[in-house]
Amino acid sequence: MAPPPEQKAPVGRYTGTRVPRVEDARLLTGAGTYVDDVVRPGMLHACFVRSPVARARFGAVDVSRALRLPGVHAVLTAHDLNPGVHEQWYSLNGRDDPDTPRPPLAEDEVRFVGDPVAMVVADDRYIAEDAAELVVVDYEPLPPVVDYAVALQSPESVHASHPGNLVGQLAGRPMADLGPVFDNAPHVVSRTLHQQAHGPVPLETRGIVAEWTAAPGEMTVWASSQAPHEVRSFCARLLAVDENRVRVVVRDTGGGFGQKVMPQREEMCVMLAAVRLPAALKWIEDRQEHLLAAGQARHEHGEVRMAFDDDGRILAATLDHVQDAGAYPTPSPVRSGIAVGLLFPGPYRIPEGTFSSRFVFSNTSGRVAYRGPWQFESMAREVVLDAAARRLGIDPVELRRRNMLRHEDLPTVNCHGMPYDHITPYETFEQALEMLDYPAFRREQEHARAEGRLLGVGTCTYVEPTAGATPFHSTEGATIRVEPSGKVSVHVAGGSCGNSLETTVVQLTADALGAAIEDVGTVQGDTAVTPFGGGTGGSRSGSMTAGAVAETAAGLRARILAIAAHRLEVSVDDVEFVRSRATVKGRPEHGLTLAEIADIAYFQVHALPPDLPAGLEASGRYRTPHPMIWANATHVCTCEVDPRTGAVKLLRYIVSEDCGPMINPSVVEGQIYGGTVQGIGGALYEHLAHDDDGNPLATTFMDYLLPTATEVPVIELGHVETHGPGPGGHKGVGEGGAIGSAPAVVNAVADALAPFGAEITRLPLTPATVVGLLERSGAVAV
Amino acid sequence: MTDVDIRLRVNGVPRRATVPPRLTLADFLRTDCGLTGTHLGCEHGVCGACTVLLDGEAVRACLVFAVQADGAEVTTVEGLTPPGGGLSAVQTAFRDHHALQCGFCTPGLVVSVTAFLAEHPRPTDEEIREALSGNLCRCTGYQGIVDAVRAAAERGDAV
Amino acid sequence: MKPAAFEYHAPVDPEETVALLARLGDEAKVLAGGQSLVPMLALRLAAFGHLVDLRRVKGLPGIEHRGGVVRIGATTTQAAVERSDVVRDAAPLLARATPLIGHFQIRSRGTVGGSLAHADAAAEYPAVALTLDARLETLSPRGRRTVPADRFFTGTWSTDLAEDELLTAVALPVWHRPRGFAVAEFARRSGDFALAGATVAVGLGPDRRIDRCAIAVFGLGPVPCRARAAERELIGREPTTEAAGDIADLAVSGLDSVPADLHGSAGYRKRVGAAMVARAWRHAVREAVHD
Repeated sequence: MAPPPEQKAPVGRYTGTRVPRVEDARLLTGAGTYVDDVVRPGMLHACFVRSPVARARFGAVDVSRALRLPGVHAVLTAHDLNPGVHEQWYSLNGRDDPDTPRPPLAEDEVRFVGDPVAMVVADDRYIAEDAAELVVVDYEPLPPVVDYAVALQSPESVHASHPGNLVGQLAGRPMADLGPVFDNAPHVVSRTLHQQAHGPVPLETRGIVAEWTAAPGEMTVWASSQAPHEVRSFCARLLAVDENRVRVVVRDTGGGFGQKVMPQREEMCVMLAAVRLPAALKWIEDRQEHLLAAGQARHEHGEVRMAFDDDGRILAATLDHVQDAGAYPTPSPVRSGIAVGLLFPGPYRIPEGTFSSRFVFSNTSGRVAYRGPWQFESMAREVVLDAAARRLGIDPVELRRRNMLRHEDLPTVNCHGMPYDHITPYETFEQALEMLDYPAFRREQEHARAEGRLLGVGTCTYVEPTAGATPFHSTEGATIRVEPSGKVSVHVAGGSCGNSLETTVVQLTADALGAAIEDVGTVQGDTAVTPFGGGTGGSRSGSMTAGAVAETAAGLRARILAIAAHRLEVSVDDVEFVRSRATVKGRPEHGLTLAEIADIAYFQVHALPPDLPAGLEASGRYRTPHPMIWANATHVCTCEVDPRTGAVKLLRYIVSEDCGPMINPSVVEGQIYGGTVQGIGGALYEHLAHDDDGNPLATTFMDYLLPTATEVPVIELGHVETHGPGPGGHKGVGEGGAIGSAPAVVNAVADALAPFGAEITRLPLTPATVVGLLERSGAVAV
Repeated sequence: MTDVDIRLRVNGVPRRATVPPRLTLADFLRTDCGLTGTHLGCEHGVCGACTVLLDGEAVRACLVFAVQADGAEVTTVEGLTPPGGGLSAVQTAFRDHHALQCGFCTPGLVVSVTAFLAEHPRPTDEEIREALSGNLCRCTGYQGIVDAVRAAAERGDAV
Repeated sequence: MKPAAFEYHAPVDPEETVALLARLGDEAKVLAGGQSLVPMLALRLAAFGHLVDLRRVKGLPGIEHRGGVVRIGATTTQAAVERSDVVRDAAPLLARATPLIGHFQIRSRGTVGGSLAHADAAAEYPAVALTLDARLETLSPRGRRTVPADRFFTGTWSTDLAEDELLTAVALPVWHRPRGFAVAEFARRSGDFALAGATVAVGLGPDRRIDRCAIAVFGLGPVPCRARAAERELIGREPTTEAAGDIADLAVSGLDSVPADLHGSAGYRKRVGAAMVARAWRHAVREAVHD
């Protein structure tokens, strides 16, 4: 699909190629610097005393025995730390966004197992853990609100400020409006689908080092974060320290996936405590703390109703959606949660529809962002489309073909007002099916069924807004410095946590300037030396840094050309600048290196063209004019279900996506692979489960099951390329893999079980769950 | 509790230390030796990020006390790099096949794969995946890692 | 996640070791490979004033095949078992069960004695010992003794070992040929503890009928369990795979303390256990018939 000429990306020599990552040399040799690798003189270590019960009142906290332990410096409670909070809100949501409660330490009442009650500060983590065991808290248990799904009816309130446990709600037009359509439709399919709590679970847990220098009143923070500048602004407001006196340094971050877009309560505690301590304070979350308290996501359910005509065309679709906010969501889930409803129509022609979303507190750990936070729109829609296909007796692929948006439908606006353009859902759908050879699979499935083997195929096609222009995310800056030696440093905010942002920026800068890539280095993650930026999140980095680099490099390149033309005594139009060398067109032997040009700019300023500033450094800030840039993909997966054990084995896994021109195909593929496997984990393995008393059941990696290399199939990728409207035509690709995968897997299992009439309503599809479905459908003996 | 004197070699360098018995080998390497390439992802023996070679065998450094390494030869990811600098064959294969993203699990994987290929120089894909199953990665979906191990094995000089 | 403090002991002599255990009483815990103990210490699910490390104790590691018995010293690592030709030839069931234990980085430290003495209900080695009618050799200040496997495992993480008693070796009788062995287990992921598993050993007499048979299930109760009723039914029968389903049902029918957790109910585990018995039975019988 040819883009309009003005949108064509500049032909780069590095952009679009598999440039080896600049991050790899240090990460492969153990020379990375993660937050736990930071050591400061006299550094102290923190450990939290956490609630063992889901809900209780508590009175005084007895810290006396803990304080007597040698090596313990302080044991701090809410009484000590919470009054230090000056202002507490996130730049991403803004000061005026209605927020949910977020005290650093629990005050009077604990609200989930793992709720931090006190913080021990000691010489090392071993001693801090010893002391934490000596802190005595007298809990008076209260009835917990464990199940968010019934929390709205509970007489108990997680927060007294929110009786009835409703955080907030949003809705489209009244459901009753759609009554006539559904009443008159030949076919109505409805289903309630429950998705389990699971989450980002980066391999590196949360962590922070905060060092306060009292005399000038300066704070330095080393953090594991996707957004260093959010951490800095947050810390400055929290402590009422001028923003320019807070420095946040993030070198390497061991995975984020949304979990690390914002500092949470524990990080607040460390910042607040650090100003009281004579040395730096480090807190490195351990894995058990992480699974208890770092947050959960994806926990929601929805009732979907779809009306069809006799040809299987969708007449209307509605979603009644309820989402678990936990006790202390970060941030309030309302604003991001509305995307579930808005995106629910997906890539289909749905003439009418509406949605309702409610966000509900529970006495469990708080909701956090997780890669494609609105993923439930696809789960709800795609699973019910397959159920509808079975009901209508139409092949699920054929049902989608009759309803999916095609090239000639675009641009369009979905029935909830989302304006779609530059997307190719139908093209990715057909490409993925062709890669599978769908008819051949159906034949294979038929043969297998005759032998008593259960094979299934599932698909999911989605459209996804990337690089969304919320106020915090709508700009991105870059500073590019050609050093006196001719080497290039590009400074951007950073926040890379595996997404190869250093390599990306180096590629983009080399192309935008015309520099040789080996001459370009990048500085990221240190707020003292990088321009303000929103960090990684919302699949924004590719598009936004491309904009920032292009904006900044354009002027700098013009200056390079001007200096070269002046020295070579030709017109600027006659100068070519490629691979860090300026030459006169047609006379390649006649030229200047970037080092020579830089030398002129810094040390032979008399030889500069008139009116050209000395030096070779520029800063620029890209401001996106696009509310969002749409990306899309189709996932197709086949599986075999073992009816004896309920085990699901994935056979083939195919993703066809359209993220526009790829900056680095290896990086794009890596993002898709990783997101896809997270979705596979969510469909089949990962579950932050609680018992009826609110006790978490998966607090170690023995019980929280991340997929390993043996559970994951080979993932085959197809690429459809449509230019988006933004810089370079690039679209976001960070999150999509984690959106499309779980629904495709669920549909594949549902298809395998279809001969028995088993319908899936609860996730994850553990082997035991699958056997339960088979038993209830009578396929196997109970 | 009584501290214990230990002597061992870490990446070929002889070391003497007096350590509390409960100090894990992982913390000893990170804190006492300053070798922060050994990462702690779970501290209960599941994730594999802390994998090191102990007398040539891949072990979880979080499940070994430093006192148990008395008299042993320990190799960490920092010790796998060729003497002249650069990358080992396994490290090179990881870079060439985009087998790492955030890099947190990477040192444990590099060490594990180095040990695995030393014992199984011609593994099948199934053996590769089985061998990798003791190391969790949250970024790559294991696709590039499997490719890297296969490539390192095919090169034949992985260790 | 750091362990509580403890005193560390690394004795050299076996007698000295058990004397130390006797002196320290329930304050002490034996540390072998540590692959089960150290996570429990790190999570502070357990704490001991003293750890007695076996790594220097003489005579504990080693594998030997003599007099119809394969004898494996307690501190022999699972990795050493995995690499042992002796084990592969003379105790194939042990050889096949070993790669199912955790991951290779665990097996390089984990020991045979540690796994048996830790006695996890879902572990492979206790089931293998029970299936092969192993004898467990111990040492205490009162001397040496030998405990048959079916009396050694007494409950969840508990054995017949006294506080001051050390498991020194396990002796596995070598089965006559023709014979067949199999282990089958089902875990959520590769390397996880099994939700249910089964071990089967079948020996054939000169008439090619079953003259010896052992079936054990694991993960389905506090200790691994022999399916004695099923075994009795099978003696003297033709070795066929047809009856696998019935044998499997019989093997799990009497189990009444099957655990339930996040990963599956008791009923589910029994179902999977039966499937594993059937699978292992088919493999073992096929092997015996072709042996």
